Formats: sequence, structure tokens, C-alpha cells
Amino acid sequence: MEPDDMLQTVDSVSFDRLVLEDSGRMAVEFMSYGCGYCRTIEPIVQRVASMIAAEETVLRVNIAADPELAKRYEITGTPTFVMFLNGSEVGRTEGPAPTQSAVIDAITRPFMS
Amino acid sequence: MSADPDAPERVVPILLYDGGCAVCRSIGQWVGAAALVVPPGQGIVAQPVGDDPAALRRLNPTLGIWDAYAVVHVIMPDSSMKTGGEAVAEVLRRLPATRWLAGCFSFSVLGVRPFQMILNLAYNILDDIRPLLGCDSCGRSRPWVQPFARLAAWLRSLGKQMPTAQPALHFRPLPATTQVRVPPNGL
Repeated sequence: MEPDDMLQTVDSVSFDRLVLEDSGRMAVEFMSYGCGYCRTIEPIVQRVASMIAAEETVLRVNIAADPELAKRYEITGTPTFVMFLNGSEVGRTEGPAPTQSAVIDAITRPFMS
Repeated sequence: MSADPDAPERVVPILLYDGGCAVCRSIGQWVGAAALVVPPGQGIVAQPVGDDPAALRRLNPTLGIWDAYAVVHVIMPDSSMKTGGEAVAEVLRRLPATRWLAGCFSFSVLGVRPFQMILNLAYNILDDIRPLLGCDSCGRSRPWVQPFARLAAWLRSLGKQMPTAQPALHFRPLPATTQVRVPPNGL
């Protein structure tokens, strides 16, 4: 984990425990460090994760390190945000625009309905 | 600032390049091949940045993985870092074939290094136009490059089936070989 990193990285070992067995709101960013779009959006995701930390947890899956998780959730590109509530997927967004409003909308809207 | 004290002592610098970028990969492989003829302890090691932030921090505690992907780095044996054009000059200095050229980058007039400034500019231009040259990991082109990127995409599409639109500009589709459709529950 990078210093000042608001996103905990989860892998195939910890994913079930931290995401599927948790009862809270979770947004999981499937990303890759070598992805330019992920790099562009990273500071915004960090800021948003800090803003919504009280209501929702934002986690990260590095698909280069954990391709099996990417296959399991049918990830076709990065960044893809998959939202979970009580361990079940409730929505997903692929490649939101790198703006604070777009990222907030992407990772909170599935919980509004 | 110091590297991992448990790590074996390193005597040559490490060139870190973006392994997802075809341009960087080609250059990195060329450097690696050119360094093979250098006597042990005098050359340079070229390796992709990879995807392990902790491994990078063992090279230099201040080196973040996002920074490593943003610009080329050379990690010196004492863990200090050179980036961008300075890193390129260090690589050229370490290779027998280019050592003669690297000397000019140290040339200074009144504290200004004109050749190093030219190299820095050349590096920045190459960095910007990488998407035109086959970079798969650079993201969206900088604004001044975008017209050329569209022209290059149009030229590539001539005689081929028109490319399908991406779902979003800020989205990088995975290579087709890695796309396996299985149910989300893994069954």
C-alpha cells in the first residue's frame, strides 16, 4: 500500500473476506498500474474515497497481479468499478470520466436505487 | 533515504521502463542487449516497472509506482534517482556504443547545459507521441497530439474494418486473449 493511499488493495485471497463477506457498501476498482487511464483517474479516486469513507469503502484489485478476479467478474477493461452491497454486486461502471462528479456518481449511484 | 538494507548490494543502475508501452519496451530491450557487452559492474540493468509497489519501494523508499509509470527512472546504486532526460543521459553514459555522445550532456556554459536541455525536450516530445507509436498503456493523448492520433487511427483503419467505438474514452479494453466470459459467481 502506498503512503497516504486511501484504497486498500485486495487480492484473490482476501477478496471474499473483505468484499463478499462484508455487510457494508463496497466499491472495487479493477485497475492496472500500467493503465494510463487508471493513472489519470487515480488522484480523483483517492479524493472521492476520502470524501465518502464514512458511508462506503473503496478497494482496489490489481488485475495484472490477480487476473483470476478479473475473469471471475468479467472485467473487459480498466478502470472498471464494481459495487457490492452485502456481498452482492449491485452495479458497475467502466471508465468514468476523470472528474470528481463523474467518479462520485459512478460509485454511489448503484446504492441509491 | 536508503534502499532496503536487507537487499543485496547493487553495483549498477536500474533503468525502469513502462512494460506496457511498445516504444518503452523496445528501448528497454535495446538497452538490455547493449549492456550485455559491458564488463560486469559497469553497465545498466533494464527492467519493466511491473505491478508491485513494494518492490519499487525496496529500490527507493520514495519511488511510487504511479510516478514510475509516469516518467522513465534510473535508480542509481546508492538509491538516488534520475528521471526523464537525465535518466536517458545516464543510460547513454553507461553503454559503450553511446558513451561518446553522453559526454556532451555534461557540457555546461554559465551553469546551463544546452545539450541536456535539448535531450530533455526530445524526451518530453517522445513521451507525448508514444500513443502514436504503439503505446498500449499511455492513456489518452495530450491535446496537441490528439489530431495526429486521430489521423494515425484513420490511416490504420484504411482498408480494414472500421474499429468499434470504445464505451468510454477513459477505459482501456483488455487484450482479447485475456477476456474470458465466465459467470460472476465463478461457476
